[in-house]
Amino acid sequence: MKILRAHSAFLALVVFLGVFPFLIAILDGQSFADVLANQSGQSKFYQGLLIEIFILAVFALSYDLLFGITGLLSFGHAMFFAVGAYTTGIALKSLQLPLPQTLVIVVLAGIAQAVLFSIVLPRVKGITFALVTLGFASVFHIIIMSHELSSITGGDVGLQNIPKPDYLDPAAQRLTFYFVALAFMLLVYLFYRRFVDSPTGRVCVAIRENEHRARMLGYNTFYFKLVALIISGITAALAGALHAVYQPIVSPVTASLVYTVNALLIILVGGIGTLSGALVGAAVFRSLQFFLDKIFAESSSLILGMVYVAIVLFVPYGIIGTWRAKKFEWQAAWRERWAKLKKIVQQ
Amino acid sequence: MENIIQTLRKNRSQTIMLATLVVLFLSTLQGMEPNDWVITVLRGLAVASVTFLVASGFSLIFGLMDVLNLAHGTLFMIGAYVGWTAYVRPDTMLDLATPFALFIAGLVLAPLWGNLLARARVSNVGHILPWVIIILGLVVLAFGLTRYPITAWDPAVYDKSPVVFGVKLDLGQTDLPAPVTAESAQIVLAMVGILAGSALVALGIALSAMRQRRAAPARAAWKALGLALGLSILGLVLHLWNDALTASLVAAGTTWRFFLAMIVATLVGAGLGALMESTLIRPLYVRPIYQLMLTLGLGVIGREVVIAIWGRTQMQMPKPALFNTIGKGCPAQTLWDALANQCSTFYFMETRVRTYNEVFVFVMGVVVLIAVWMLLQRTRIGMIIRAGVQDRAMVEALGINVRQVFTFVFALGVGLAALGGVLAGPAMGVSDDMGEGLLLSALIALAIGGLTSFPGAAAGSLLVGLLQQFIVKYGQIGIALPFLAQPFKPTPPLVPASTLLLMVIVLLIMPNGLFGRKE
Repeated sequence: MKILRAHSAFLALVVFLGVFPFLIAILDGQSFADVLANQSGQSKFYQGLLIEIFILAVFALSYDLLFGITGLLSFGHAMFFAVGAYTTGIALKSLQLPLPQTLVIVVLAGIAQAVLFSIVLPRVKGITFALVTLGFASVFHIIIMSHELSSITGGDVGLQNIPKPDYLDPAAQRLTFYFVALAFMLLVYLFYRRFVDSPTGRVCVAIRENEHRARMLGYNTFYFKLVALIISGITAALAGALHAVYQPIVSPVTASLVYTVNALLIILVGGIGTLSGALVGAAVFRSLQFFLDKIFAESSSLILGMVYVAIVLFVPYGIIGTWRAKKFEWQAAWRERWAKLKKIVQQ
Repeated sequence: MENIIQTLRKNRSQTIMLATLVVLFLSTLQGMEPNDWVITVLRGLAVASVTFLVASGFSLIFGLMDVLNLAHGTLFMIGAYVGWTAYVRPDTMLDLATPFALFIAGLVLAPLWGNLLARARVSNVGHILPWVIIILGLVVLAFGLTRYPITAWDPAVYDKSPVVFGVKLDLGQTDLPAPVTAESAQIVLAMVGILAGSALVALGIALSAMRQRRAAPARAAWKALGLALGLSILGLVLHLWNDALTASLVAAGTTWRFFLAMIVATLVGAGLGALMESTLIRPLYVRPIYQLMLTLGLGVIGREVVIAIWGRTQMQMPKPALFNTIGKGCPAQTLWDALANQCSTFYFMETRVRTYNEVFVFVMGVVVLIAVWMLLQRTRIGMIIRAGVQDRAMVEALGINVRQVFTFVFALGVGLAALGGVLAGPAMGVSDDMGEGLLLSALIALAIGGLTSFPGAAAGSLLVGLLQQFIVKYGQIGIALPFLAQPFKPTPPLVPASTLLLMVIVLLIMPNGLFGRKE
């Protein structure tokens, strides 16, 4: 019982996301049978939007582990995502591999890339590491966009016509895909929670706070940073794989600075180093994009920029971060108001 | 002699690095025709100067305040657009000058309000009231601005679109549209509205400053009143002499207007920078990572505003007359002849060189380099900036008002970027995406040279500019590699890739860049 109460917000979120497709169906007047049969309608559409949010959330979680928890600022994180997406696409399309084998390759590719990034780790620190990773990712971006490789990677248009497995076809089996993506996100989140609370995760936090001191205490900080990088890399690559299966086209933009900046914005909106902030941030980020586009069309990016500036000014530590900092203050204020109201009513 | 050897020994890795780069550079010259490499080097120098103008400001800001100003590319672009306006449409610029002066006149009243509020013993104003007053002020401001007559363009109508005015000026026609007129009662109302609106905004700012218990001293209040009066009178004078000034600017010709455009854009950029720092960035020094989000957001906003005002189409900014004559003794044989005949091209080492693109831009880059170098090395504020880059806390402890220096440096950095935008305008056209690529180049240049080092910014920009132009040139003529039968022609994507690779290599060998100090 105590455990349930302590995690009530998380459980509520799980339940809400679990019934979400049916909730939309009720609002839209669609029958449950139609939803289960993947008939097109509002429910299917919003499932698609949420799947995108789940994928973005996993990507942002991986960035939060690297930057928010371990304190490694990387401007090349999108490369993990793109490596995952492109590996999946090429394995499914050119090599005709089934999905499970593909995922194994994706994991290996993620590890390989994490090791590549970690080679420069002992040499460069702070903003320089960010710039070197930006260099790697931008070169990768240029390579996958290059004309010479366009038969494999699709050049600057992107990778199209990726064959989707029948049991996970985003068009015909959207509901299955929805729950797979949801389960994936929740699993990654729980795993990350556990990781941060583990001794290894504690050392990662120590590295973020003060690397010299962590080293003085006898930890080989390189090893811990490598672990964080590998876990983060595998997660981001898997998110990329899911992206490749879900989207009709894998654009080279996934490797560009834009995608890294998206992940950064998401965890800034949600709250750095909070993990749950990545989930909230991804939801806010994608739905803002979607609804502003729908309402304001042409001038949506202007409004989006204003919203970012407003968030920076009025939600100083991200949504979850500010909530944690001000929770008790706000609760006390509401209790006071409630007591006042009671007094008035009694009189 | 001994000193030199000692310096070399101290900076061993820099020396080796520079020697390697020089050797590499000389080896690239081997495979080229002389006039190919003359033009490539000159173009590289010009690209380097524009990159340097963006990079130096960025590096000063990052060095002193640790702010990665990701809006710097957008501010570069805004500089180009503002310069374009002063250059192509001086009438619009003068029309805008009056409301602008009145707006600033209202804003500088903030210390006066603060003082008056303190005297009236106003306290406990709450969270909401300042914002209500600011929004009210903005509404009044909008009311005044929309009623003031401004002869502008309209990107939606072809005949009136800014693109057309650019092309017309390039053809030598300076027929500006007839000025918009309004009844004098309406104009007076508009001017009062602007002044009152911005004064209300200033009152809101003063109120929110009250809440943070920052009182303004009495002397500042008198100064503010004087400044506001002066600016109001300036605005009035500009309004009364508007037509005469417009006529004289049109008659002055493109060369003088270009220099005016450079000054106006630099000042507007500096003003924007000062405004950004003092209102938005200042609260964020305690949580540095959110500066990234703020500057990104500001960059997006700036770009969208520019698109809304000037339209999406790329605009031409004709070269000033001093560098734009064809025929009649042109192309000249020497630079002096070219300047005397106002030629657009001349021969330099038997290579045909464009006076503006390859010479003027580079010369301006060198002028700014020397000017900023003198500012940093020879003045008191330069000394404070250098000290602040080294150890900010210590400078604060010595009792120097670091806040003012921060605002100054931010204004300086953004002003330099805006100047770079005007310089780049005639060479590469004015478009809303001109800043992004350049910001990346500047970042790469800074990483190569050392993020917080001023000579590093110059050296890095030089390397990036030269490398880019050499790759571009080799893309045209091909490079003979020993293990390939055909000459290898680098494709356009290799231009950014080469600079990125150079950055990665330099950073792996020297993590602090060529000139960066070890932390």
